[in-house]
Amino acid sequence: MSYAYLFKYIIIGDTGVGKSCLLLQFTDKRFQPVHDLTIGVEFGARMITIDGKQIKLQIWDTAGQEAFRSITRSYYRGAAGALLVYDITRRETFNHLTTWLEDARQHSNSNMVIMLIGNKSDLDSRREVKKEEGEAFAREHGLVFMETSARTAANVEEAFINTAKEIYEKIQEGVFDINNEANGIKIGQQHSPTNPSLPGAGNQAGSASSGCC
Amino acid sequence: MSNMFSITNIKNRFISVIAPDIPPLPSSHSHQLHRGNISGAPSNYQLRMAHQQKKPDKFAYARPPFLQLLTIDELRASADHNVRPIIVPRDITLLPWGTGYAECVNSGKSEWNEDQAAFARQVLSDPTHSHPDLPYTYYGIFDGHAGYGAALAASHQFHHILHEKLVDCLELLLPRDEDAANSKQDSSFPHPSHFQRRVSKDELIIGALESAFFNMDALIAQDRDRYRDAGGCTACVALFINGKLFVANAGDSRAVLSQRKSKCIEKNNATTGAITNADNGTGAQEVFAVPFSFDHTPETERLRLLTVARLKPHLMEKQYAAMEYAKRPHMKDLGQRILCRQGTMKGWTYKTLTRDDLRMPVVTGEGKRSRLLGTLGVTRGFGDHDLLAINTGTQIKPFLTPHPEVVIRDLSKIVSIPDENNEDGDYGILVMATDGLWDVSENDAVARTVFQTLDKYPTEKHRYTMVAQELVARARGKINDSGHWRLADSKAAATVDDISVIVIPVYQYYKEHVEWEKRCAQVLQERRAKVTQSATEACEDESLLVNGVTKAQVEVEHDDAEEEEEVVVEVNRQQAQATVELEEDASQKAESSGQTDPLSAHQSAEKDVKDLIEHELSAAISALDATESSEDDKKEAKESSVTTPEKTYKAQQPQQQQQHQHHRNRNRKDKR
Repeated sequence: MSYAYLFKYIIIGDTGVGKSCLLLQFTDKRFQPVHDLTIGVEFGARMITIDGKQIKLQIWDTAGQEAFRSITRSYYRGAAGALLVYDITRRETFNHLTTWLEDARQHSNSNMVIMLIGNKSDLDSRREVKKEEGEAFAREHGLVFMETSARTAANVEEAFINTAKEIYEKIQEGVFDINNEANGIKIGQQHSPTNPSLPGAGNQAGSASSGCC
Repeated sequence: MSNMFSITNIKNRFISVIAPDIPPLPSSHSHQLHRGNISGAPSNYQLRMAHQQKKPDKFAYARPPFLQLLTIDELRASADHNVRPIIVPRDITLLPWGTGYAECVNSGKSEWNEDQAAFARQVLSDPTHSHPDLPYTYYGIFDGHAGYGAALAASHQFHHILHEKLVDCLELLLPRDEDAANSKQDSSFPHPSHFQRRVSKDELIIGALESAFFNMDALIAQDRDRYRDAGGCTACVALFINGKLFVANAGDSRAVLSQRKSKCIEKNNATTGAITNADNGTGAQEVFAVPFSFDHTPETERLRLLTVARLKPHLMEKQYAAMEYAKRPHMKDLGQRILCRQGTMKGWTYKTLTRDDLRMPVVTGEGKRSRLLGTLGVTRGFGDHDLLAINTGTQIKPFLTPHPEVVIRDLSKIVSIPDENNEDGDYGILVMATDGLWDVSENDAVARTVFQTLDKYPTEKHRYTMVAQELVARARGKINDSGHWRLADSKAAATVDDISVIVIPVYQYYKEHVEWEKRCAQVLQERRAKVTQSATEACEDESLLVNGVTKAQVEVEHDDAEEEEEVVVEVNRQQAQATVELEEDASQKAESSGQTDPLSAHQSAEKDVKDLIEHELSAAISALDATESSEDDKKEAKESSVTTPEKTYKAQQPQQQQQHQHHRNRNRKDKR
């Protein structure tokens, strides 16, 4: 399927906050209560529509464990959006947000849109971080904020799509240099009619003229 | 082969910056440009190549299956040349023994990662089941160039070819009774009727590997008629079989065994053992690397290449010289004395420069920059059947060979003291990687990283994956502001090539092998006992009594063994019954043997044994799969051994099978 833009996202945050579950809920619309520890990085993709334009989200789901931090840092490069996730039932995951944010700001391009997400909103009875605290943190650091539940799918669509809307607006405003792939945005076939349409996964008969990705 | 097509690489990199998202391309760009470079080559060749490019791929491009990068989106994301993500298996249980794997794409020299990796677990089994089965595990790593086809084909097909080759000499490889008898005289066996000379199992396995390499290369050559030209690739293959490790290598990928000496000496010397244990673990002296392959580059293979050139001078097409010069000669040097070595000379000598000497040497450059016919940086591997030299269009393939060099390690000879907990150090961690790793990492540095990382993750299931990831991360380095990849510690250039690393804990294989050996010995023992028993039927009563007890006790195990008193009663009753039954059986057998000659009786016994082994092996294999449940079995067996001390729990399953066998025998005889 062709698209107008491809946005690259990265999901970051402490281990066990539900990063992989958010991705799975968004891409596959399902919840997996027991999820293996993510080692390294995993990828997801989904097409969304904004302003009548097809936009493909390519999402990098990273390992939250401290041991992977240095490798994860190298993945901020070339991301247009980041979902910074904490767990509302574990205060320490909220406390670590500052470190995550510093990492993200230091290693990404300055225009990267960061969405703060308080996940596991379905577990209200075990809540340790108030919604207001999340809102305050987001306001203070200029982030968009949302509470989500990967289990019930509450706000999951919105979190991913709102981030995309923000990126899209920045493109309209000319903030992003969309010709620099390192910004996490690619222009798709819909913008370059001279290119042949994108063949399917199994089709290897593409033309060699467009060079290397 | 990081710098094989340096010009086109740069071109690709420029294109990559501005190119929009494009479909997966079947062939690497550099490949085509490379072909186009051939000046003076006949145009029909180019036509043929153009035709060639219209043919389909034999295999659709993919990453190794155990990475589970199943969608084109995942495939694309993993090939991000700007970020170069390090990909590890999302399900680490897919590889045996906790083996680690990690890979990372190049920085833009080709669209896709042209490395490939593969593994296979197989069993060699005799169709007649007259010998126990022999399991083996294979890992392969293939570094493609001039396209991804050859490496992809090798990763899909090499293990099938290897399996065929092993099956070819199956009857000589499988464990047999004679082995036990001749165990003192190595594992080689004289077969005067078949061989003029003794051929050992090791030599057969080496032969299987070598011939599989040749066949793989031939297969790629054949496929050119129907499929797109595949380019070429190196091949580094590890085969774990019979308690031994075989590494076969052709090309410049490399296998290195990282080892660590035991820490016991320091522990003994130290007053506070706990502290030294922690920080001496990665001491530089303790850790060492043992090469398990040799790189095949124009430089290392100079002797072979120049011998080919000398024996077949027409291959050089009057374009190249089987010479080497200390400094590149020019027209103006004609008639002057110049320092050179001719052909396969090792030393240097003077000669007067003639016009013919101005031709390009067959081998140029040094180290990683050495080139064959000024073109190729690797001299063994698969494919490259249509590869022509840059500028001259000379065929390169005749200089290449798929012939691997094979290195063996007999793991049964390794001494590892259990108290020292240094199995990974004693048996070693086998690191197999493409030159993306080795170009920027010394063997010893890799060995140090291996054990540093293992120490960091002492118990984690994914510790070997972490090692692989760490090795790739270090070789890839970080990208700086001007877009260059740099090593983290030294700021030197990091590798821009594809990187693939397999990290194999050799001891984990050996553990598995020892278990298999036990089962195998047991099967052979059973078989021997069975043969003796059937052959000497007159004095059978005693052994039958033993079997009677066994049978009773097997049945006990099917009951709930918790109530011991009842069990004892049961055993006694059944024992008596079984004895009666088996006496009947014996008399029947005596009868039947009276009717037939002893030879056929022996034959029937042998057939029984075959059936028996068939059963036992299926049981043994399932036991291998379910090692966890064996704990329960052991417990159960211990309980039952209270009543029947003759039996050891290890023999439980086969004996049970033997009983079934008995019943079957009887049925068969009844029918007669």
